Amino acid sequence: MAGKSGREISAVPQGGIKKTLLSWEGALLVVFIAINIFGVIISPNYNATNVLREMQKYLAEVFIMFGMGFILVLGDIDISVGSIVCLSATMACLSGNAGLPFPIVVLITLGVGLICGMINGLIATQFTELPTMIVTLGTQIIFRGIAEVSLGSGGSVSMQDVKGLMALGTKIGPFSISFILVIVSAIVFITILNKTSFGRKLYAIGSNKTAARYAGINVEKLRFICYSLIGFLAGVCGLFLLASLYGANTTTGNGFEMEVIAMCVFGGIATTGGKGNLIGGFIAAFVIICLRIALGQRNINTQLILVIIGAMLIVSVVIPAISGAITAKKKRASVN
Amino acid sequence: MKKKVLSVLLSTAMAATLLVGCGEQAAETAAPAAEEAAEAVEEAAPAEEAAAEEAAATDGATYAIVTKSAGNPFNERTASGFEEVITAAGLNCVVQHPESATADAQIAVIQSLISQGVSSIAVAANDANALTAALAEAKAAGIHVLTLDSDVNADSREVFCNQAGVQEIGQTLLDAVLDLTGGEGQYAILSATSQATNQNAWIDAMKSIAESDEKYSKLELVEVAYGDDEPQKSTDQTQALLQNYPDLKVICSPTTVGIAAAAKVLQDQGSSVKLTGLGLPSEMAEYIGDDDAHSCPYMFLWNPIDLGRLAAYTSIALVNGDITGATGDTFTAGDLGDYEVVEIDGATQIILGAPFKFDASNIDEWKSVY
Repeated sequence: MAGKSGREISAVPQGGIKKTLLSWEGALLVVFIAINIFGVIISPNYNATNVLREMQKYLAEVFIMFGMGFILVLGDIDISVGSIVCLSATMACLSGNAGLPFPIVVLITLGVGLICGMINGLIATQFTELPTMIVTLGTQIIFRGIAEVSLGSGGSVSMQDVKGLMALGTKIGPFSISFILVIVSAIVFITILNKTSFGRKLYAIGSNKTAARYAGINVEKLRFICYSLIGFLAGVCGLFLLASLYGANTTTGNGFEMEVIAMCVFGGIATTGGKGNLIGGFIAAFVIICLRIALGQRNINTQLILVIIGAMLIVSVVIPAISGAITAKKKRASVN
Repeated sequence: MKKKVLSVLLSTAMAATLLVGCGEQAAETAAPAAEEAAEAVEEAAPAEEAAAEEAAATDGATYAIVTKSAGNPFNERTASGFEEVITAAGLNCVVQHPESATADAQIAVIQSLISQGVSSIAVAANDANALTAALAEAKAAGIHVLTLDSDVNADSREVFCNQAGVQEIGQTLLDAVLDLTGGEGQYAILSATSQATNQNAWIDAMKSIAESDEKYSKLELVEVAYGDDEPQKSTDQTQALLQNYPDLKVICSPTTVGIAAAAKVLQDQGSSVKLTGLGLPSEMAEYIGDDDAHSCPYMFLWNPIDLGRLAAYTSIALVNGDITGATGDTFTAGDLGDYEVVEIDGATQIILGAPFKFDASNIDEWKSVY
């Protein structure tokens, strides 16, 4: 179903309820509903109260997913976010224990994230020939290294005054603050990526960087903004992680980068850039979270849950590839 | 358009089959994993199923144990001992191994157990403080919380099942180092992760005992290396120690993963460095011996199965209200005998017993036990 011009700008979302339902995001929504039904069937304890409570732990990661969506659309990648989470949480604990008031601690947490992101952005935009995977691999090691040095020999620090953190964990009705913030962020970031010229420019850069540059887009400035954004969001993640962990250690944030990349890819955002929709990543995040909760309540081996999520990820990238190959074959046949 | 419809249907169908399939066969597919772990899961799953079918009609209590991580042989044996006692008492048992050796992963498991409304949770903590919020929620939900093997801060649980007193272990290990070095020289410690509560407590005890007595003054602790309880990293760390300290006489590894990795390195290289620490007899049998062909003259451990059993009896006693975890509480832990809750450094605990010495004379009879 190509457009009138004979080409499809796959990146740009188009209207129509039918089209939405048949898109990858529509399919994900179906899967999301299916998983919840599945959860209710397999576990007698799978209800709104329990799911919302268990979800708390996973929500912090979703913040980073939004930033990762932006970065992936650009055709870049940032694997340092797990370390940024660790560093910002560590700094929060250290500053909190030094007696600073909680609002300042919050600012420090977010500030550390933002600065780390800006450092990534600075290196990535000043040395454009470097692969961002390597740049952020380097900063990943550096950020975690700084955190480990700050943590000292014990490798663990805990917040002495947890009043502020407990306040962060309070609930408004059945919903936690982090849940509400995730929903608000989803609306904001999805709108930015889909409806603003800023968002469209990101797709343009991800599709063809050179063309975007010739079209007058300040590519490096936008990339810098996106790196700063994901760093900031990693700080937000660190803050909400603290609200459940009350402390940080050398393993804090381990593997978060891969989990959020998995959410994005499962949501249909291509790591090659220029393709995908943040709505997909958002729904995919909740698909993975609800699946983990449902299987967890049945006491399924946690390693097996990882295998299942990995398999889902492979399936999600294989299906479009297969259908794409079929379409291409058909096109070739019709030309011949 | 047809293709799109097809691919959507296909993906939904595949996801659905995958999920349903996994739900049914979860226990079976786990079989090739580490024996004990798989066994535990296999047995736990049907027990849970049965419980679910009865749908809380009976108040069939469920007792849960949360280990540090899968693939930790010590924890797996502890879990098997726990399960043995719980199922023998006609109760339901849930064994949960978190997906990684982090507090974060344990929180997910604990949250899930709260949803399931279990009666008690026994946890071998990966971090002393990080579980505070999750355990507080469990307590608020009326669940009895205890720790074993590795403790959390005293406010977060009712009682701690300690395999042996920290001072006793520190003393035993340091005396072994003193004996193997011949009274003087360099030694190194190969630990697990840098934030493992129990490891740090034992190492601190060794350090403070070494300072307190003149006879240890000629011993020099050159480094505490961290193998993160991963065989490969522990191997690398051992090799690094050998390279960096040519005069090293003894490596002391108070973790089962570390000692096994170090034993292999030392024995394969025919190194003159001797090894001691805490290890599993079944894994260490081929390295234990008095001659130069063996890397480890002797080592120590308590019985992990008995630790699990003690935790199980303690869980039952807490749920039944026989004890509250207060100092001076006494109860009978089946054939393990009578135990009393004692307070050490402000933490209420039940101590299993003194560490047991494994050497060339008794390793053969123990290696088949655990």
